Amino acid sequence: MKINILFFAAIREEFGINKKSIEISKSENSPYKLINSLSKKEQGSWIMLLNKKDSVRVAINQEICDWNEQLNDGDELAFFPPITGG
Amino acid sequence: MAIYIQKELFEVEKIISNIRKNKPLIGAIVSFIGYVREFNGNDIKVKKLKQMDLEHYPGMTEKELMRIELNAKSRWDLEDVCIIHRVGKLLPSEPIVAVIVASQHRKNAFEACEFIIDFLKTDAPFWKKEISDQDQLWVQDSSEDYKRKNNWGIKK
Repeated sequence: MKINILFFAAIREEFGINKKSIEISKSENSPYKLINSLSKKEQGSWIMLLNKKDSVRVAINQEICDWNEQLNDGDELAFFPPITGG
Repeated sequence: MAIYIQKELFEVEKIISNIRKNKPLIGAIVSFIGYVREFNGNDIKVKKLKQMDLEHYPGMTEKELMRIELNAKSRWDLEDVCIIHRVGKLLPSEPIVAVIVASQHRKNAFEACEFIIDFLKTDAPFWKKEISDQDQLWVQDSSEDYKRKNNWGIKK
């Protein structure tokens, strides 16, 4: 299945891109499983994301969710730091 | 109810007169306006802010702000609510955000305005970067903001 990943603020800068479309396997069907797998396959910024996981917010289809939430085909997955607006 | 995410400056007086148009029941309007500070905390002699960059998550931002407005409306009897938040490049002393709440009597407007800005601070996906004469730093979230939100006793 295919999903779209969005990166914001400091995480966007770390990755050097603001979005990425990727094909994921069934064994990567949660944000946690996905970054765990990508930190081994692609390394780079994914390792940083995995290490900083506790201070990173994750959202699926524009709703903040848990790292173990299930990912489905066509989902929009976003990683961002804690919110600082207002 | 209205939500505006915009690069441009805004004028609170104009928004208030629009809200009041044809709404004779409005007896109170409370507004909160947040501004860009030129100096941050105790760094007054050390760091001078040159610019603030505001990033957001288009789509999710509007959804979250709408949810906050609806929550406020279900909790208090309100005549109208308007939230304006700027994005892009902001200069010192410029306004960042305005929350304007209209009700028949002041109590509802005061409380709802505080509720909305407290939830906006922790739930609406905006990020600030401060560009000073010395460095560029993403603003860190504050535990005080979470405390204020949690004091309302609901999660969302």
